[in-house]
Amino acid sequence: MPASPSGAGARAIADNTTPLWLGAVTLRIVTFLFAVGVFSLHRHGYAMPCLGWATLGAMTVWTALTCYWFVRPSGRRLNVVIVDVLLTTALIIASHYVLSGEQLIRPVPLVTTIWASGCVVSSAVYGGRAAGTVSGAWISLVSIWARGYFDTDIARDTVLLSGIGFVVGLAAVTARHSAEQLARALRAEAATKERERLARAVHDSVLQVLARVRRRGAELGGEAAELARLSGEQEIALRSLVSAAPQESTVDGEVDLRPQLQLLATPRVQVSVPATQVMLPAVAASELSAVAREALSNVDKHAGPDARAWVLLEDLGKEVVLSVRDDGPGIPPGRLAAAEGEGHMGVAYSIRGRVAELGGEVSLYTAAGEGTEWEVRVPRRQPRRKGVVR
Amino acid sequence: MGSPGAAQAAPAQGGRAMTNVSVMVVDDHPIWRDGVARDLTERGFEVLATAGDGESAVRIARTVRPDVVLMDLNLDGSSGVAATLGITTELPDTQVLVLSASGEHSDVLEAVKAGASGYLVKSASVEELVDAVRRTAVGDAVFTAGLAGLVLGEYRRMAASGDGAEPTPRLTERETEVLRLVAKGLTARQIATRLVISHRTVENHVQSTLRKLQLHNRVELARYAIEHGLDADPEETA
Repeated sequence: MPASPSGAGARAIADNTTPLWLGAVTLRIVTFLFAVGVFSLHRHGYAMPCLGWATLGAMTVWTALTCYWFVRPSGRRLNVVIVDVLLTTALIIASHYVLSGEQLIRPVPLVTTIWASGCVVSSAVYGGRAAGTVSGAWISLVSIWARGYFDTDIARDTVLLSGIGFVVGLAAVTARHSAEQLARALRAEAATKERERLARAVHDSVLQVLARVRRRGAELGGEAAELARLSGEQEIALRSLVSAAPQESTVDGEVDLRPQLQLLATPRVQVSVPATQVMLPAVAASELSAVAREALSNVDKHAGPDARAWVLLEDLGKEVVLSVRDDGPGIPPGRLAAAEGEGHMGVAYSIRGRVAELGGEVSLYTAAGEGTEWEVRVPRRQPRRKGVVR
Repeated sequence: MGSPGAAQAAPAQGGRAMTNVSVMVVDDHPIWRDGVARDLTERGFEVLATAGDGESAVRIARTVRPDVVLMDLNLDGSSGVAATLGITTELPDTQVLVLSASGEHSDVLEAVKAGASGYLVKSASVEELVDAVRRTAVGDAVFTAGLAGLVLGEYRRMAASGDGAEPTPRLTERETEVLRLVAKGLTARQIATRLVISHRTVENHVQSTLRKLQLHNRVELARYAIEHGLDADPEETA
């Protein structure tokens, strides 16, 4: 059932910042109760008690509304967050007129007091680090205006508010990122499962019949032998295809080189690899499989139609060794060098170029009548990798 | 497949015609299974039985005692690796030749460690199959380039992951050299020529790489059995 893993992935993404939203709601309720306490303590000294009551009323309604919205995924909208910041700004400005001049200096907390931090947290959860830091700084600026002066206490609040915005935003980004990773892992798992199911189905039906056609056709001879040959080619192509794992790269951008090489197998080309993964940076892997392809196409061109070829991949830990050998007539001495000297962009040029780019070495063993053998050694950790960083 | 089994098999094979090799075919797909059985019968092999799953493969092999079991690893609902282990443990005179799809790397490796003496891909020709069954029957290891690549990789994996606390089998320099040449498609004869050694020496090197791997596997299995309080088969611990 491929639908269920991807469904789980989508759910995981939607739900991943939920704990942060619930935290923001809790903070808002706690800071609201704190503000109510501050209000009842200082309301007798207020210059404009009516505006104070109105401010507190607005805070009550807005706290209730945001709690209602933020506990639901559908309510976590950009316009709510913007209104949150604007309304908080307006209430801080109103507080400036509520408090008496003496209260502002003493200093008595503003009516909004630490409740004002609620909008910083919600914009950080919604928009990430930058949104959190900016709204923290903005609310601080408005508070400084409302206060009418600036001292170390206010400076501390400014740093705290912006810092909270940054940290909460960071947490939100991380949560979303890990949700994406989870979703990707679930997708890869679903793809692997589906591939395994297909591989089993192909293995149990098509391949058996193709193999049988190849066998019987070869025995019957004549035109049937031609059909057998075609059937055999498709059989091997299909086997390689279903046995090659999906190309899902890891987090650090490494891929298994084996599947890329296995796709090169044909009735005349045998590919031998270890049973365990051979992980390489994606660029190095595709360069190495390009090297194998070029060496094999060279076999096709020069070694004759009956030549067979073998590809061997070895993982020595510090380096990876790729060998391509054919049993064709071999390259007469001097011909490769001559071609290179004339400036032909021949196979040697191309293979040596690719391998040099990866910091590796190429050796070529060949002699008339003894086939050709390329051996490519590429170190695992290249100090400088051109073209790797895109 | 210890050396006593091979020693017994060799004179017996020498005494009768090669075509009297008895075979059992294990594959879960009837078209393939019956096709292979017919191919082998037509070429003079004695196909004693066929089986479609691992459990009946072990049971039937116990009764008919074939010289060679052709084992598919991709069996419906049961493991060809477990069946290989069962057969090679119970019947030292029976050789198991894995005949499986390419690409089932870890399964092929596990089957060889469990005691299979060779591996052939299903896309091999009938001639290759016949040759492989004959060689398996006389106790030779059927080493395709693909299997050599897997075995090389396994020795390197063990060398890399070994913490030094447990002894892991190592390849000698010569064995590594021989295996690499097998993996690059050279025949035993070509390897002998290139390394200036005898053809028989090449075969011995190749078989020794397999035997070390299988011995190590048996020791590991026995250790696992002891650690988990299971009764170890005295033959395995020997």
